[in-house]
Amino acid sequence: MQKHSDEALVAYLDGELDDAERAHVEAWIEADPNVRDRLLALAESATTLRAAFADFIAEPVPDRLLAAARGETMAATEAEIVEFRPRRAAEPSAPPSRRWYVQLATAAGLFGLVVGGGVGYVGNGMLRPSAVPTDRQLQTAALNNWLDTAAGDYKLIVNAGGSSLVDVAANGDNGEVLQKISQNLPQQVRLPDLKPWGLSFQGARLVVVDGKPAAQLVYNTDNKAIGPLTLIIGSTKQPDIAPTFEKRQDLNLLYWRHQGRASVLVGQSEIGYLWGIANDVAWQLDAI
Amino acid sequence: MGTSWNNPEVGTLSSHWSHGESPENGVSPVAPVSKRFSDQLIAVLPRLRRFAAGLTRSATEADDLVQAACERALAREHQFQEGTRFDSWMFRIVQTIWIDQLRARDIRKEDTDIAEERLGSDEPVRRVEARLALSEVRRAVAQLPPDQRTTLMLVTVEGLSYKQAADVTGVPVGTIMSRLARARVALQQLLQAGAGERRSMKDAEA
Repeated sequence: MQKHSDEALVAYLDGELDDAERAHVEAWIEADPNVRDRLLALAESATTLRAAFADFIAEPVPDRLLAAARGETMAATEAEIVEFRPRRAAEPSAPPSRRWYVQLATAAGLFGLVVGGGVGYVGNGMLRPSAVPTDRQLQTAALNNWLDTAAGDYKLIVNAGGSSLVDVAANGDNGEVLQKISQNLPQQVRLPDLKPWGLSFQGARLVVVDGKPAAQLVYNTDNKAIGPLTLIIGSTKQPDIAPTFEKRQDLNLLYWRHQGRASVLVGQSEIGYLWGIANDVAWQLDAI
Repeated sequence: MGTSWNNPEVGTLSSHWSHGESPENGVSPVAPVSKRFSDQLIAVLPRLRRFAAGLTRSATEADDLVQAACERALAREHQFQEGTRFDSWMFRIVQTIWIDQLRARDIRKEDTDIAEERLGSDEPVRRVEARLALSEVRRAVAQLPPDQRTTLMLVTVEGLSYKQAADVTGVPVGTIMSRLARARVALQQLLQAGAGERRSMKDAEA
């Protein structure tokens, strides 16, 4: 690979260079504004490319493919023409119906419903003194407390400049990073690969969720529309819930629980991006 | 990975019929399939569809390709090695079948015949530039040579590392780098050209 080449720029964007190569490319970018512009254009086209195909992750999988994956064959469908469903470019479409996070997702997320919303907001000391809180109210309060903490943890890490506060910084060997952080957790943490979104892993922190340790994974990108972003993964004994959208000041939060794991994605990016990223995260945590 | 897998493309697609009933009426079992394997396959279907959509020129063609890949994977279930990445194994199967299909067709003819479905011609025109722009991106991808298209989808969209993409496609990492760079530059130029055309049309309308 030539040091001053498109290959070098693309590999730099993809995080595929070693330290020396990366330093060389950075010096080149620093020295030549045209190169910086070229780099930005390449990064932008990659983001656009991912957006162009993002809907495939969220839209329902045709029945004939599900049947094929189960080892069944649907004779009548062999000649069937399956139409592309219209997709919406920048907004999340309905996730596939086979998934656990489907049913409530769109409604709850897009229209701002909150789990336990019918009960009313009871977090942050807003419980009425005369009322004996029900289990559901307590759960809602705990949930709000969790989300407040997640938002606070995000602010803390971002205000500190991204990776300077992480307990274990990304060092090229993410397996080692995760092993270190997992030593303090009740379960092994997996690291979702968010490169398709242009997000690179910066490091991990130990945080406390619901009185128990959890991992806060920190991602960043030059694309301000997406990052920085944090993902907190903790353990829970609460029942599963579908991804649900919440706001805390200028932050968007998307949270869900699945099979003993509670996750919350926090960022300033628009909810459409968060949905797509959460979808990828859920898939990677559960399927790989 | 390429070295650790048995080659999933060896054998015939129809070999599994001997295990089950003939699929004459509706849904029939094809072969004994482990639920775990089937679950893994179902979980990866959305990404397979996305990958296939980047390779092919229509939604129907993409789903046909994924369906063929599912059938092949089930017939080769015993060849998948636990501990290796299932998604990469499936990407490789999709890519292999797609290349076989390309070879069996008059590719040059197809290259000038981008399916209308791909362009989203059924979309109402008023459904805005954002939608059109994304269709334009997919159309631009479809104009790339097959090897660049595959590499672009594997690395930039599916997020595989260069090494993983090299294993899936069976080429050296250096080849992945050069294909990817050519693809990214070509894509950027195609998108710029498209944006320029839209600007010209707007100017003309004004």
